[in-house]
Amino acid sequence: MKRSRAARLWPMVLLSAAAALAACTPAPAEPGEVTGSLTVLDWAGYDASDFWIDFQQTYPNVTVSFEFGASDADIYTKMAAGDQADVFHPYTGWLQLYVDEGLVEEIDTSRLTNWDKVPDEMKAIGQFDGKQYFVPWDWGFTSVLYRTDVVEGEIDSWSALFDPAYAGKISMWDDGPGAVTVSSYIHGWDETQITDEQLEQIQQEWIEQRDLNLFYWAGEPELIEAMANGDVAVAYAWQGAYAVLLGQGVRVAYADPVEGRNSWVGVYGIRKGTENYDLALAFLALKLAEATGNNVVNLFYYGHANQDVMNAITDETLKQAFSIDDPSILERTNFTPNLTAEQRDAWTAMWAEVKAAP
Amino acid sequence: MDRRRAFWVLVVPPALWLAAFFLLPLVLMAVVSFRADLRGGLLTFPDLGLRQYAALASTPSFLRLLVLSSLVALAVAAVATASAYPVAYFLAFRAGRRAGVYLLLLMVPFWTSYLLRVMAWKLILGSSGVINSLLIASGVLDEPVSLFLYNRSAVGITLTYVWIPFAALPILAALQRIEPALMEAAFDLGATPLRRFLRVVLPLSLPGVLASFFMVFIPTVGEYVTPLLVGGSRGSLYGNIIQDFFTKAANWPLGSALSMVMLAMTLAWVALAARLVNLRQWLT
Repeated sequence: MKRSRAARLWPMVLLSAAAALAACTPAPAEPGEVTGSLTVLDWAGYDASDFWIDFQQTYPNVTVSFEFGASDADIYTKMAAGDQADVFHPYTGWLQLYVDEGLVEEIDTSRLTNWDKVPDEMKAIGQFDGKQYFVPWDWGFTSVLYRTDVVEGEIDSWSALFDPAYAGKISMWDDGPGAVTVSSYIHGWDETQITDEQLEQIQQEWIEQRDLNLFYWAGEPELIEAMANGDVAVAYAWQGAYAVLLGQGVRVAYADPVEGRNSWVGVYGIRKGTENYDLALAFLALKLAEATGNNVVNLFYYGHANQDVMNAITDETLKQAFSIDDPSILERTNFTPNLTAEQRDAWTAMWAEVKAAP
Repeated sequence: MDRRRAFWVLVVPPALWLAAFFLLPLVLMAVVSFRADLRGGLLTFPDLGLRQYAALASTPSFLRLLVLSSLVALAVAAVATASAYPVAYFLAFRAGRRAGVYLLLLMVPFWTSYLLRVMAWKLILGSSGVINSLLIASGVLDEPVSLFLYNRSAVGITLTYVWIPFAALPILAALQRIEPALMEAAFDLGATPLRRFLRVVLPLSLPGVLASFFMVFIPTVGEYVTPLLVGGSRGSLYGNIIQDFFTKAANWPLGSALSMVMLAMTLAWVALAARLVNLRQWLT
């Protein structure tokens, strides 16, 4: 009797235990009530709330704190060293390394609102082995930017960076992979399949180019200043510099080279093993939202991954900078490919030798 | 007992600090320089070997640049020390009661960020800068020349400027230690002012001169900020190559190997100099 009564009690005990558990596991709360904290490893400037305004307004009680990386290499080595940031912001060319080293968590795109507004070409940049590891966010062009009052006629090729006619007025970006990209376009080589001989030739060409080159620019403001005061007339440049100089009334044009423009994409990844996966995912979804996207376009002159944002641009300068009225521009654009660690090491060493050459 | 306590209180904390934040990182860097690449985590040390040193040895342009950078540092240190000497001499013997004010004025540049002072030289040397404007206004030039900025001389000029106030301090300290009675004695014995300086003041101040020289020379060998800002395509120094491998390439092993070689070379220079000028004679 005693036993059967106890046996009858068991389901009750289990039920009440389950009820207690259910009370502990919160039902999906309203975003406005969610509390917690999120750490973002980003570039200086991106911490401004303009660039995550949608998240801030939707999740007012979540504390977002920022850490900064000074370069892609810096962000990568921080993450590799065990940085506890939940979300980080690398650019194309570095993504493979995070995947290979197991530093990045797969993105559950089914829970990512705004994902359908991202063009497939951009989604593909963050995919490895059929899995989405990164969410594309900001992007832009690289091409030859030149002063139309100094250069006669139109520049229509990347080889302008090697043209003795502009000796002492050329400025290349201080970056080995960037140099390999330019040379590959000029020679018509597949930059993901560069051989040792080709790399040797690229190095030689850039060593010779050094006598035409005034300085290698490290940051965009440095380039903009030199082009505005006329020290530099022909440069490897992002569209941000073009937009700023146009805005300042400097007579500049942004080449549409026969080899095609280059395009780079900035992406966000979620750290593998983060305890804030859901919040991080919400953060990325709202990074793709419109108010945030508009700020990226209007304040930084960068492109945004949300196509609706791009299609809504009305500012003439920006339309020109992104060649928005030219529907085929993206087809003629070469996206920066993902590099392996070996390629990165070989190309950066090549560039160091260019700078160290007698 | 008191001496022992003094040892623990005075020596141990800084020693621990140096061990944790200087020696340990240095050892880590040495170990990293033997790694083949950075894959597999930052603090794992698989397959240590000499790959980076072999790569370095087979890249003559890196070693050439190291020698060149040492020569630049040597020249900068020599000019900065020589220029700082009169300043220190004036402060020690001629400034009198105003010495404190002048010393403060000498230190004023340090209240401005190093980066800003280097940027200022861009404004002076640039094609629309002070020198060019002056030459055009005076009719020497018809149009601005980019001769002054973006080359190695610009790097040398800027570095020398930055170091002069620094270099004056150890010399000043050495000059202030000179016993005035020694100079009076030289005077009483009929030495001319020049002879007094050459035979009494200069020799006694040489430890300070040497300290100044190395205080400028050692950091300048690895300098990278100034060449980056005013050096142009042809003005890179060895420090720029190291910086690139750390901050752009994420290739710590090669960057570490380059740093270790630079450390060895700098130590070799110091050892050579110490031998040449018989450092021990002054230290004891």
